[in-house]
Amino acid sequence: MADDKDVLRDVWFGRIPTCFTLNQDEVTEREAEAYYLLLPRVSYLTLVTDKVKKHFLKVMRAEDVEEMWFEYEGTPLKWHYPIGVLFDLHASNSVLPWSITVHFKNFPDQDLLHCPSSSVIEAHFMSSIKEADALKHKSQVVNDMQKKDHKQLWMGLQNDKFDQFWAMNRKLMEYPTEEGGFRYIPFRIYQAMSDRPFIQKLFRPVSPEGNAYTLGDLLKEMYPAAITNDAHL
Amino acid sequence: MSGCALNEKEFFSCCQLLLQQSEHLRDGWSWEAVQVRRPLNLDLDEQPGPVVATRFHSDGITGDGGDEDDAVCVLSEGSSHVLQYEYHILYSCSYSAPVLYFRAFTLEGRSLMLEDVWSSVHPNFRHCLQNSPLTAITQQEHPLLGQPFFMLHPCRTEEFMRPVLQEAQEQPR
Repeated sequence: MADDKDVLRDVWFGRIPTCFTLNQDEVTEREAEAYYLLLPRVSYLTLVTDKVKKHFLKVMRAEDVEEMWFEYEGTPLKWHYPIGVLFDLHASNSVLPWSITVHFKNFPDQDLLHCPSSSVIEAHFMSSIKEADALKHKSQVVNDMQKKDHKQLWMGLQNDKFDQFWAMNRKLMEYPTEEGGFRYIPFRIYQAMSDRPFIQKLFRPVSPEGNAYTLGDLLKEMYPAAITNDAHL
Repeated sequence: MSGCALNEKEFFSCCQLLLQQSEHLRDGWSWEAVQVRRPLNLDLDEQPGPVVATRFHSDGITGDGGDEDDAVCVLSEGSSHVLQYEYHILYSCSYSAPVLYFRAFTLEGRSLMLEDVWSSVHPNFRHCLQNSPLTAITQQEHPLLGQPFFMLHPCRTEEFMRPVLQEAQEQPR
């Protein structure tokens, strides 16, 4: 893992330049200017957009403001997906900055989960961490961690503190080498054009003969249509 | 009782038993095999699992709700709202356990919020859910439909089922 430190930092510090524009049907007291922000790929929309909300609330009356939600080209954006996943799914082929429309009315409750507070984001994040550890370590590592360790993991993400986060996360990324790795690899394959949010199944890191599987092996098994005949992995 | 861990085959056979019972009681559980449309080729693909059972349950509230089974929940006493609950039982391979997803609508199609759900939980269960409520019932995206549902956390399945299972053992039917 030490050799991968550069990769870990690159992943953590990935940013997407974004332009937030208020939906033109919102009722405002004067014209709302667009708001620009660099979004962290590893975080969640509702965790990093307090400034966006404050900016647009300056031109709106309280009675015209309900739960904030985001949309890209007509598609409501699921705040519970990491920002990088949302961008890659919906906008990776478009020109930067990523143009997101902000809404304060008509929350699409058949498409989006509600996000009334940051505790909800924390609970969702920790739930993913726990499920991943159930796959990697039968939940042993995450259950052996103390409540304050879980809190540190969350605070590291919330406050964009790489070292604070990884001090705890490295425990979740360890495995005894004699066992060949994690019990199962936690992965999700997201698809843009499908009702089904993602493909997630059990997948062992090594073959019965003890050879390490690659990403290509995983895709062949879980999503063979992604590998066309002339693609090489 | 060694816990609620089930492998997928065991889950499948338990579902078959549930469906047989449901036929007897005529209370509406059905087996929905999942068809997944692959985006990159247009054939429909039959998935062997995860698996789903669905039940619609209409519930009028005015007073005679007491004779119904314990799953009936009321939104507010004395009101005339009718609620429609939809329950799905899915299998989580991460936790080797069944997971309950549900949602509720009024007849006008308004979906219930989390606070409404909390106030409609039977008082017998409310205390055990109130320790860290955010790890008990939360709003989640349905893993197959992609729509918001409420989910009972699989870590808590055993905790909730234990009193039910104990009672079942004490009173064979």
